[in-house]
Amino acid sequence: MGPGPQRSPWGVLVSELAIRRGAAPALAIEALGYTYPRAPGSALADISLEIAPGEFVLLAGRSASGKSTLLKAACGLVPHFHGGEIEGAIAVADLDALAAGPAELASAVGYVAQDPETQVVSTTVSAEIQLPLEMRGDDAASRARAIEEVALALAIPHLLDRTVDTLSGGELQRVALAAALVTRPSLVLLDEPTSQLDPVAGDELIWLLRRLNEEWGVAVLLAEHRLERCLAAADRVIAMDSGSIAFDGPPGDFLSWSQASDPALTTPAARLFSLAGITPLPIGVRAARQLLASSSPTEAGAGTPSERLQLLGRGAHGQPPALHPSKLREEGVPAPATPALLTRDLWVELTRTDAPHDVLRGIDLTLTRGQPVALMGRNGAGKSTLLKAAAGLIDPARGKLETPGGIALLTQNPSDYLVRERVGDELPGEAGLAALRVVGLEHAVDADPRDLSGGERQRLALAIALAGQLEGEALPGLIALDEPTRGMDRARKDDLVALIAELAGRGAGVVVATHDVEFAAAFAARVVLLGDGVVIADGPAREVLSGGWYFATEVARVLDLPGVVTPEQGAAALRGEEGEGDG
Amino acid sequence: MRSPFAYIPRPGPLQAASPAAAVAYLGALVAVAFLFSSPLVLVALGAGLALAGRLAGAWGAVRAAIRLGLAIALPIVVVNALVVNRGETVLARLGDWPLLGQVDVSAEALADGAVFGLRAVVVMIAFAVYSACVDPDRVLRALRPFAARSALTATLVSRLVPVAAADAARLRDAARLRGSGAAAVGRAPLARRLLAGSLDRAVDVAATLELRGYSLEPPRTPLRRRVAEGLWTPGGPKPFRRASRFDPRFYLVGVTVLVAAIVGKLLGADGFDAYPAIQLGLSPATVALSALLVLSGLAPYRRSSRPMGRRRPRSGRSRPTEPAVPRGPGAAAIPLGGSGV
Repeated sequence: MGPGPQRSPWGVLVSELAIRRGAAPALAIEALGYTYPRAPGSALADISLEIAPGEFVLLAGRSASGKSTLLKAACGLVPHFHGGEIEGAIAVADLDALAAGPAELASAVGYVAQDPETQVVSTTVSAEIQLPLEMRGDDAASRARAIEEVALALAIPHLLDRTVDTLSGGELQRVALAAALVTRPSLVLLDEPTSQLDPVAGDELIWLLRRLNEEWGVAVLLAEHRLERCLAAADRVIAMDSGSIAFDGPPGDFLSWSQASDPALTTPAARLFSLAGITPLPIGVRAARQLLASSSPTEAGAGTPSERLQLLGRGAHGQPPALHPSKLREEGVPAPATPALLTRDLWVELTRTDAPHDVLRGIDLTLTRGQPVALMGRNGAGKSTLLKAAAGLIDPARGKLETPGGIALLTQNPSDYLVRERVGDELPGEAGLAALRVVGLEHAVDADPRDLSGGERQRLALAIALAGQLEGEALPGLIALDEPTRGMDRARKDDLVALIAELAGRGAGVVVATHDVEFAAAFAARVVLLGDGVVIADGPAREVLSGGWYFATEVARVLDLPGVVTPEQGAAALRGEEGEGDG
Repeated sequence: MRSPFAYIPRPGPLQAASPAAAVAYLGALVAVAFLFSSPLVLVALGAGLALAGRLAGAWGAVRAAIRLGLAIALPIVVVNALVVNRGETVLARLGDWPLLGQVDVSAEALADGAVFGLRAVVVMIAFAVYSACVDPDRVLRALRPFAARSALTATLVSRLVPVAAADAARLRDAARLRGSGAAAVGRAPLARRLLAGSLDRAVDVAATLELRGYSLEPPRTPLRRRVAEGLWTPGGPKPFRRASRFDPRFYLVGVTVLVAAIVGKLLGADGFDAYPAIQLGLSPATVALSALLVLSGLAPYRRSSRPMGRRRPRSGRSRPTEPAVPRGPGAAAIPLGGSGV
């Protein structure tokens, strides 16, 4: 257990103001324990916490640590909807959540789940937002005003007349947030709301939450894996482990705790500082830059970190890189010897709403065997479409597209590949066993796919896609993964990085469509950045991920050094080591 | 890919009209299709509905409905010709068939089947216009105070159908992407998987509905609530209503069409008999009713407001317009999207 609850100055201020006004806590939980129906063990154990009105609390923890269950308990879905055994007490703005159901709590607490697809129930956006008010019996005039206000607050007035099936993931997430906020709840709960969003939409959502928190006084309880995205916005962090609270305190203390107790929860900037021997650990990019500017000389390097950064050419980019394959060769990436994917003037047209739309517009791209490539870009930039076209699921409208050695594509939902109740039935015979060996699941032949962990299910789906394409130890020319890290914690991402390295090491070209810049920095040798259907940057990962604002790692944004994207590279640069963390 | 019949919000009168007005208008036209067998009336009705769809911006839905309607109509014509052994004008004698016996194809049976098929096409067009132009959320909202549970079921279904369609498309893609060494996936495992996934989805959507307050007591309409709270008595001022300014037009056209059709029927405007020989009447009443039905398709027409030009309206002679924002206590807020909220 970490230190007792401590608050940042902002958190202390809002709590004191609220208490002076006589307001009840936004959320108070006392000795909460919960077990899902037919579950062997408890999902929550001895949880006690209190969230003051207007507080912004970040809920951290690995996968299956109990974050989602805690959020569901706070909004009444647990136990009223899911059943199970519960003990303890939960109060939401003075309402007893164990006595009142989610419908009664809806005016006091809003809930936004991870998958925006499953949290919209109406056809149009305006109908979706006004549904909670309608259920509450508000008249049309007050509904109209509430919709107008929440739409303005979330910058979505232009979406009100759209149907929900025409919205992007980011837009859908905002609509779900609007539906959660329209009743003016005192507390809003969000379960990994940015996991399906690109960095731009994710950052916008977090700062939108902060603005609502500050201007509307809404208390926020936000569960997230990518802490670097939201730690700076939080007043307080609660870390969970195996259904219990492992830490509860301010963000700065959380970083110190995570370094010592669970490094998988720490942020890249904090890891950079820790490796470089600089204290205190920063809670965000701004704090990191300020600390670097004021810090004393490091042990290994000469001069202060700030001086070293100037010597290394901080801010020398001038503008974000827009590299092309010719530049790639200059940068030392091997020339395309054995192509795994070859496109020339590739155009793909899809029908969006009721009109055709060019999703890919004249793509020229060559990916080679043995090279791990990150395919990045905003939601709707054309990443998935490119991979589906390469796999033959979509016919190009024009241009040339070849995958000389064949392709295995793992789409965004690995569960779509799992249709039987035994792993061995999915992958029978020697070919199946060979595929299971490649992904390290040969021990799970008799298991039910539903009993596997999320990471194992993903590897099984990949084995299904690869099965029969393995001749000896060879692999398909190109292995493509579409958004494989959604909802993954860092430990599982590290496993995936290792698997990608192994597949590339066996001679397959590996292309991964991802929004996760830190993950891309960890596995990719090359990054292809798509924007509105065209390639807008293509080059070594270290170049592309260090030269922008949104598609840049946290370390790159802190140090602003060309080619420095990971904490190891950054620490080496700060220590003045040659090679800046290579190898 | 979206269904051509999916509702798309557009700033048209039919979309802005309340569900009751839209149903009254389209329902009256559908009623005429079942009241009359005259091919001229049915063709005029189809033309009127197609015109309405075109003016409402639902031409894609109308074309899809015509294609689908013709696909349904063709078997109707064929089957009717084979199973009905009536009519004086025998076109072909096909001999004895199992179950059917002697099969004679007559011009009258073909014509009768064609009228059935035409009726199917007309009804398909009407439903296509309804589906593409009438907001299902508003329909469900209108139903909710009267049948909360049914509305809940309809909400779940209306949400889950497109979600299940998207899931099915993804599962098909995943099945195509399986390596040659993986077990083949037939339709049965895919259907099982889709069903299991749909149940999971249904649970998620039900949880969302729960969070939106759907399990609360069915909401009262403003009038019922005011009556219940003693804030309104008969004869008092009416509470806020969200009727569209186009509603009277659709009610009027619907009632006019229905009354004209009934009167026309009584006056013998339905001059069509298939048996024993084809008799097609083209009385003035039939022609007049047909013309009215074509013109009824103009109901969704919207005349754009024209700018006033450089001249300023003279004081005291400017025409009053509808206020954008109602004033006074209890007045309505700004209507959103041209249709109210």
